[in-house]
Amino acid sequence: MNLNGTLLGQMIAFGLFIWFCWKFVWPPLLAAMEERANKIEQGLKDSEDSAKKIIEAEEQSKKMIAEAKSEAKKVLSNAKDQSEKIVEDSKTKATEEKNRIVASAQAEIDKEVVNAKKSLEKDFATNVMSAAKKIVGKEISETNHGDTIQKSLDDFRK
Amino acid sequence: MASESSERTFQEYLEHHLQNLVYGRLPEGHERKFYAKGKTDEEKTAYCQDDKSMNYDGDKYCKETLTEDGWYLANNKSDLEAMGFWAFNIDTLFFSLLLGSIFLFFFINAAKSFSLEKPTKLQLFVEMMIDFVNSVVKGTFKAGQNTLVAPMALTIFVWVLLMNLMDLVPVDLIPYPAEEIGIPFLKVVPTTDLNLTAALALSVFILYLFFSIKNKGFIGFIKSITLHPFGPWMLPANLFVEVIDMLAKPLSLALRLYGNLYAGEMIFLLIAGMVMINFEALTIAGVGLNLAGITLSLIWAIFHILIVVLQAFIFMMLTVVYMNMAHEKFEQH
Repeated sequence: MNLNGTLLGQMIAFGLFIWFCWKFVWPPLLAAMEERANKIEQGLKDSEDSAKKIIEAEEQSKKMIAEAKSEAKKVLSNAKDQSEKIVEDSKTKATEEKNRIVASAQAEIDKEVVNAKKSLEKDFATNVMSAAKKIVGKEISETNHGDTIQKSLDDFRK
Repeated sequence: MASESSERTFQEYLEHHLQNLVYGRLPEGHERKFYAKGKTDEEKTAYCQDDKSMNYDGDKYCKETLTEDGWYLANNKSDLEAMGFWAFNIDTLFFSLLLGSIFLFFFINAAKSFSLEKPTKLQLFVEMMIDFVNSVVKGTFKAGQNTLVAPMALTIFVWVLLMNLMDLVPVDLIPYPAEEIGIPFLKVVPTTDLNLTAALALSVFILYLFFSIKNKGFIGFIKSITLHPFGPWMLPANLFVEVIDMLAKPLSLALRLYGNLYAGEMIFLLIAGMVMINFEALTIAGVGLNLAGITLSLIWAIFHILIVVLQAFIFMMLTVVYMNMAHEKFEQH
């Protein structure tokens, strides 16, 4: 069990093994493992981020839908109001028109009535005068009998 | 399962299993001797002359006195002593280099064919190891920045773990066939060789000293071993305490791993000694002993899995701790 030259041989061998391990084993393996660790970490982080983003997007879309709904409601109610207003407006316009037409018709009628009365008066007076002429058989002139006619016209008017 | 049970006693079996395959230089005049196989003197003489081209000494051994220096495989204690420091444990070197190469091969492969999206199972295992070592280093090594510490910790952990795992290979599975093809000794668990654990510990210690001096400066390093823990007026005491503390680091590192694995291997061998494969001589008691041996071997193997991993982890952990100490700034107390 004496120490002998093997000791030196083993020290050299050990040194070589360490050197090989130091140069060709440890650095590439550790670097590769760290790279993978980073990749995994990054991947997890990314997936977390995207999950967050999805949630955000969902919220966003919900918000947008709600906004659109309220917008639509507003538009709808506006349209209703508008249409009601239009109907109301047209109603009042129509009423006014009707009133106007009725009024003008009334005025026309009134005018016609007056005219008719006037022409009737005139015709009646002429007729009466011609009839009376015939009956009386003598000339009736306005100068002679004007007062009488006037009087009867007045009576007629009454 | 004492191989060559007819010839070897249990003690010889143990010694055989605890002996490394040592290749070293034997000086001129050294007497090599081998155990002579055979039952009669004629057989032994023939064995010595034919197989070893040596002479039979008429008692137990084939013997040869070297006429010039040369490199030989050690066969016994006297060979080992004659070889001195310049000898090499071929088995330790072979298995440790093999296992270290397996480690590097798989890890470099995984690094080259690394796929982010579709990892293979091997890659996942490699990643698991890297992750484990990285977390240990991050948790323990906080005093400074050094890119060497983590790869070193990984190398130590995986390499020592692989070498320790050789302990779970049945004790005779590899040495016995090896002996049949002419390899006289074989220890398959490199961490049961003090040379290997001492080499690791010494390397760590050298790095510890290097980084200590690099980070604290030479003056700072000297200060850290002379002005601690009692203050400048107790300088000799400080130096004494600190030097012992420092030397204890590699010593404990080396002996802890070696001791644990050596003891584990020894227990496997002792249990293996209970089991025999000489079926002709088997009695009821023998059968019982065999079953007990197999059961004990299983239990110890399961328990040993824990030791194997634990010792690899402890070695790595302490290395990281020492490296951390080397990077700590010197504080005046």
